[in-house]
Amino acid sequence: MLEAEQLTFAQPGQPLSYVYDLQVAPGEIVVVTGISGAGKSTLLDLIAGFLSPTAGALSLNGDDLLVLPPEKRPVSILFQQDNLFEHLSVAKNLALALPANDRQAKEKIANALDEVGLADYGPRRAHDISGGQKQRVALARTLLRQKPVLLLDEPFASLDDETAREMRALVRCLTDANQWHTLIVSHAKEDVRQLADRLYNLFEGRLNPEVL
Amino acid sequence: MNKAAPFFRTFDFPRRVIGLAIAAGITALMLMIFLAVSRADIPLSSSSLQPDIPHLVRMSLIQAALTTALSLGVGIALAWALNRLRFFGRQLVVSLFATAIVAPAIVVALGVIALWGRAGWINGLLSAFSLDWNGSIFGLHGILLAHTILNGAFAAHILLARLETIPARKLKTAQSLALSPLRRFMVLDWPAISSSLPPLGAIIFLLAFTSFPIVLILGGGPANQTLEVAIYSYVRLSFDLRAALNLALVQLVLCLLIVLPALLMTPSLADAGTSRHLHWPDNKNARILQWLILLLALVGFGLPLLAVLVNGLGPGLFGVLVQPRFWQAALTSLSIGTASAILTLALALGLATARNSFASPLARTALALPAFAYLVIPALVLSLGFFLAVRKLQIPPADAAPFVLILANALLALPFAISVLAPALTAIDRRYRRTARSLALGGFTRWRLVEWPLMGRAVGIALAFGFCFSLGDLGVIALFGTSEFSTLPWLMFRALGAYRTNDAAAIASVLLLLTLVAFWALPPLMKKLSHARS
Amino acid sequence: MLTRLVLTFTLALAASAPALAQQNPTLTVYTYDAFAADWGPGPALKTGFEQTCACTLEFVAADSSIGALRRVQLEGENTNADIVLGLDTSIVGEALATGLFAPHKVDTGALRVPENWRSPVFVPFDYGYFAMVYNTELMPTPPTSFEKLAGNPDLKIVIQDPRSSTPGMGLMLWIKAAYGDDAEEAWPEIAPRVLTLTRSWSEAYALFLAGEADMVLSYTTSPAYHLMVENDPRFAAAPFREGHYTQIEVAGILSSSPNKQLANDFLTYLISPEAQVFIPTTNWMYPVADIELPAGFDTLFVPQKTLLLDDETVTENAARWIGEMLKSFE
Repeated sequence: MLEAEQLTFAQPGQPLSYVYDLQVAPGEIVVVTGISGAGKSTLLDLIAGFLSPTAGALSLNGDDLLVLPPEKRPVSILFQQDNLFEHLSVAKNLALALPANDRQAKEKIANALDEVGLADYGPRRAHDISGGQKQRVALARTLLRQKPVLLLDEPFASLDDETAREMRALVRCLTDANQWHTLIVSHAKEDVRQLADRLYNLFEGRLNPEVL
Repeated sequence: MNKAAPFFRTFDFPRRVIGLAIAAGITALMLMIFLAVSRADIPLSSSSLQPDIPHLVRMSLIQAALTTALSLGVGIALAWALNRLRFFGRQLVVSLFATAIVAPAIVVALGVIALWGRAGWINGLLSAFSLDWNGSIFGLHGILLAHTILNGAFAAHILLARLETIPARKLKTAQSLALSPLRRFMVLDWPAISSSLPPLGAIIFLLAFTSFPIVLILGGGPANQTLEVAIYSYVRLSFDLRAALNLALVQLVLCLLIVLPALLMTPSLADAGTSRHLHWPDNKNARILQWLILLLALVGFGLPLLAVLVNGLGPGLFGVLVQPRFWQAALTSLSIGTASAILTLALALGLATARNSFASPLARTALALPAFAYLVIPALVLSLGFFLAVRKLQIPPADAAPFVLILANALLALPFAISVLAPALTAIDRRYRRTARSLALGGFTRWRLVEWPLMGRAVGIALAFGFCFSLGDLGVIALFGTSEFSTLPWLMFRALGAYRTNDAAAIASVLLLLTLVAFWALPPLMKKLSHARS
Repeated sequence: MLTRLVLTFTLALAASAPALAQQNPTLTVYTYDAFAADWGPGPALKTGFEQTCACTLEFVAADSSIGALRRVQLEGENTNADIVLGLDTSIVGEALATGLFAPHKVDTGALRVPENWRSPVFVPFDYGYFAMVYNTELMPTPPTSFEKLAGNPDLKIVIQDPRSSTPGMGLMLWIKAAYGDDAEEAWPEIAPRVLTLTRSWSEAYALFLAGEADMVLSYTTSPAYHLMVENDPRFAAAPFREGHYTQIEVAGILSSSPNKQLANDFLTYLISPEAQVFIPTTNWMYPVADIELPAGFDTLFVPQKTLLLDDETVTENAARWIGEMLKSFE
């Protein structure tokens, strides 16, 4: 269980402070909606460790996450874009998720690519594949990392409807299979309709549960 | 329809015209200088020295190549360390590293000697522990050390700026992937800096190839020399302008052939973000290495400059500060520096924006080459050429002096300013070109709305280079005969030539302080201004 | 009120008009920077001469005396210069060969110049002797000759490059004058003692003061500066058995000058006792007029044996000799 309790972020000189209370169970997909600037990305940055909260607690299965630097947190994060290093090949981008001396790297990468439906894409340059494919590769990379928490920041916003639908199915499938705690920040109604197990609306720095 | 758009109908036509006009103007100026010198028919009055040209070329090449390799290596290591570490006074250290290259060469040389010399701090420290270091700082290694201090610190400054433009999101992705320090460097840092390395290497190579006072002071004799010294002796000793010009042409062609490949390279994928606010320290081992690099750099680069500051802020300072001629020179230096900085920025932006609008490497090189070529023309030839040209135009040399100085120094700073601005512009261009085009944001509007707000810092650094270079040497107006007209560096050289070592040290430290302030204050100031406008 | 103001203004204009018409002639002197600098002899000479000449004296400073000569060569007949001041004996021959200078009409008969140096074209105005200067505290017993200097492996000296510096050229001539044809063998022995060859005197002297070398090539008068200005008696010039090479600074009138009479007047003034008193403490050289030297100069070492090669020989051979010298350093 991923738990945020009174997770607070306040910046000096800014009137609005953010206080988050949130729970995500294994295998569950929680969607957070809200208008731009409501503090959606701040929430993800706090969980991923790019921002430090001014107060509150954050834990996974009872283990305190706040003491960990971003790179040590059990978290994978996917942005709307720029998830891949465009000058590297798809395979190399995936290899970044594995230790440099992993002997089975090739195999694991091939499997992961297969799972997201991009079996032959390893040698291609990240620069040369489509936006949807990039997001799939990024998902494949989270597969390789096997981190129990998956954070998605408007992941399908720049994809066409069809691709977005496929991606959503993929996220659902991977979350179920791996029992991930998946948190999606989005303002796309489709994301809510198709994916959300639970829904929060972020308004004036507070998370309000909404009925689906 | 779009495949055959005539040249003058292209989207960035005004930018191209401005850039090409600047490049043509610089080329014409250089031609004028060479022509003016070659036309000056002076009967030879004494026998000529016959320098061993192949030997000089060989020595210059070896020295310049070593300097370039060392400086780039040191620059990368230092930029890497500075990018990862956070500590009190970091910004000041970053500014300090930028000052080395614009400080008068003799100041740096004396700083190196104050630290590493026989009577220097290191030896003093060693002998306090009754240790003896019998090495000498004089020789090829002394030249390399001084050159690496000058250029390595400069490279670090430029490369650090590149590292800070890695977009935050990329950094976050890499951090959440927990990349090891080595992988992080290869995946994130290397692509960000690699496109800056060729032009940076070209500048360093040219500077080292034509270095003069440092080579003579620290070289330990004529065994270590550059072509520039031979050119100097042709003019000064035998007044053989033809021979000097021929050698200058040899130097020009040789240097340009060497840096041409660097300029022909197309820039790789560059980013236009910022991750200055993000801090992701590497693991402990890497951090120890980074602190070690920083410490070494501070000792190697910082201390020589600190030695200059300390020596200058001694008893001589007050005596200098009460002299009206000091304030007059300071005022002149500041005015010339400011004018020159603005000119540098304008020319650099003109060239760099035009470069971006061309896809062909040939056109891009044609735009950059004149600026680099100017760097290779020996100061004495420049001085002669400007003098003769001004006379030809029937302007009294003393009246023309300030303008020549502003122009000459702005051109000198130009490659530096371009190397600061070009990567930022290229990155912005890649990202917003299509949007800008679809919105028909041409020339100035695009600059005002897109480029200027995103590159305030780079503009500040470019201005700082322009400003500080013009505080620098007066060599170019050596012949103009302007005893009324003096700047701080000139005052320093004068004091040095009249036994007044304390005065000279005081002025040198004032110069360094000015430079430090420029590099410390201008980038954030420009950033603030650019944001205020947007 | 207003009428009166306008009237005064008009009158003032009218009064200034004739003054503009018969403006004082300007005498333009090209010289080296240190001579025209605030602390050099220039300002005092300007004040002194302008009191008597009904003219304006203008010093135009090039970076060096050679620079001043080169500028005149470039400008040729069209030069503004009436006088080039500060050339030294190692370049006088070359300056003469340019044919740009005219004979002077100054009576130099009473001057006291080493080797009794005279020229129909150039007027000597001060002189000095090259010497190795050292710090007496750090080195109680300095070498007494180039031979001794070469024989002491612990010594480091700093000298100037003869291609770019007048003292550097002076040292080259010094060795040539002392050793003649053997100079070619002398240099390889001296070379290991040389820390470095700098571009100019300033850099060499700065290295010496920073403690990087035991001795520096300078002038026998250098210690006087430290003694008289800095009250520092530690510095001295080492007497060398071979004798000391002489540097004589001269001034010459350009044949293109329209102000020849005025130029001759100035040179006459320059070598007069009234002007010469400024030389020792502003240019740190010996005056050519018979005047009392300032206190402090009496502590200086004055060489008994002085050396000087004649101008023509120098002009003819300098480049070759420099080549010989530099070879020893490669």
